[in-house]
Amino acid sequence: MDQYRLEKVSKIFDRRLVAVDGIDLGVQRGERVALIGPSGAGKTTLFRMLNCTLRPTAGRLWINGDEVVTLHGKRLREARRKIGTIYQQHNLVPRLKVVHNVLAGNLGQWSTVRSLSSLFRPVDLELANRALRQVGIEEKIFARTDELSGGQQQRVAIARVLMQDPEAILADEPVSSVDPSLATVIVKLLIEISQKTRKTLLINLHGVDLALAYFPRVVGIKNGKALFDLPPDKVSDSLLEELYSGHLPDNQENGLTDEESKPLVYQ
Amino acid sequence: MNEITPEIDRPHIPWPSHEDGGRGSLWNYFLLASLVVLFIWSYQGSEIRLAQLFSREGGGEILSYIKKLFPPDFSPPVLREAFRGAIETFAISFIGTLLAVVIALSVVFFASRNLIFSGLLYEMEPRRGWRRTLRLLPYLCAKSLLNLLRTIPEMVWALIFVFLVGLGPFPGVLALGIHTGGVLGKLFGEVLEDVDAQPIESLQSTGANRLQILFYSILPQVLPQFISYTLYRWEVNIRVAAVLGFVGAGGLGQRIHIAINLFFGNQLLTLIIAIYILVTAVDYLSAYLRRKVI
Repeated sequence: MDQYRLEKVSKIFDRRLVAVDGIDLGVQRGERVALIGPSGAGKTTLFRMLNCTLRPTAGRLWINGDEVVTLHGKRLREARRKIGTIYQQHNLVPRLKVVHNVLAGNLGQWSTVRSLSSLFRPVDLELANRALRQVGIEEKIFARTDELSGGQQQRVAIARVLMQDPEAILADEPVSSVDPSLATVIVKLLIEISQKTRKTLLINLHGVDLALAYFPRVVGIKNGKALFDLPPDKVSDSLLEELYSGHLPDNQENGLTDEESKPLVYQ
Repeated sequence: MNEITPEIDRPHIPWPSHEDGGRGSLWNYFLLASLVVLFIWSYQGSEIRLAQLFSREGGGEILSYIKKLFPPDFSPPVLREAFRGAIETFAISFIGTLLAVVIALSVVFFASRNLIFSGLLYEMEPRRGWRRTLRLLPYLCAKSLLNLLRTIPEMVWALIFVFLVGLGPFPGVLALGIHTGGVLGKLFGEVLEDVDAQPIESLQSTGANRLQILFYSILPQVLPQFISYTLYRWEVNIRVAAVLGFVGAGGLGQRIHIAINLFFGNQLLTLIIAIYILVTAVDYLSAYLRRKVI
């Protein structure tokens, strides 16, 4: 069954900034796909459409057979609940305790009253603890989130997705704000989770090596278009060169100059 | 031994205003001239008579008035009255500020466009349509209500409420609460519209509804600033509460008003000292609490 089907999906900001330019893509349930490409290529914007945050400007996008533009209210929230997203950074609420950030993964299932009462006295403490144990930081459960290191915060974000128990996990550059030795560990953790529970895993990776080493399918994105969509052994050096040509390879470290990663600004 | 330091080649950096033909500086002269005109006009409009203030008679009058204030009257009945006035003023400012928080919190969420009709939370909604128009209505109502409360000064509210509910601290509480409610509503609204969008986006993507996003992501972010603004307005309000009595709304102000009108100079000084102590104490307390919050 199709997890995702995209037909000529485009996203244009402010009527002129073309972030995603007519992408066709199909992803099967349970598949693991890595997206690579220079920063500003439109990967983050693509993910924000895939998790129902942004509406495509043009083209058609189906999630689990439902076309997203037809989803509103309860059905839209239900569709979002089935997709877990791990962001590059700043995705947790810094002033809340870790336990609340983890339990926030349940909000799609909880009633408003239950979620409010959990802020005063956490419900499902056992589940939160189990999720944190899976990512190896159960001792931080009552710490304030902003006291954690970048890598630990990323683990909390993964624990939240575990809590959410979605059908698909979207990881948007999950390792570009942690140090390299940790990057492999986190990518492996995500793969392990997706394999164990047969979840679809889509990942944006800054590091080409990680993508080629661990993912059976690699999609190269450049200027909002899909340049290639191949198994890793077919991704040649010349293809990679073409993918990154015109871009300095290492100016993407901070991730903040990335036009597409800016949050949608409130008027 | 005296080595000659190499001459540093200083590049000539042109002064910017020379480049655009001095248009910038002309504009500055115009601004300066306008300021001078505005000053002269306002000076005459406010009927300032410095000569009178510093003349022999004027100065003498001020001196003799000040002399009449001393010594402050520390007799037990006056002290008791000053103490009661101070307590009343404190109570007015405290309850008034609390009332203001209740008013601000019950209106402000409707007055924040990012919570009520635009931005991330409404990105996936249909662009046009009656629902969007319908949401605009509470926004406009809330916004104009806050403006109305805020633009009418406390003193005017106090006069209205003295007329409606009679003399005493109660109209003072209502006046402070309503005006400050408008002020806090505007300040809270600005904080809410400035909130970090990324935690909101990530919670929304888990399927959380808007109320859940409010409790889990927005309120934890804004609460410290809400508290800080509230404490700051409390500092302002203790001063306002001290003069609200001039229009009959209780507290130290009412007693000061009486003391001035009946020429009780020594009692007046006692009351002024009471205001000084009270305001200073609240300033310190509030500053301390604000440091704790942030």
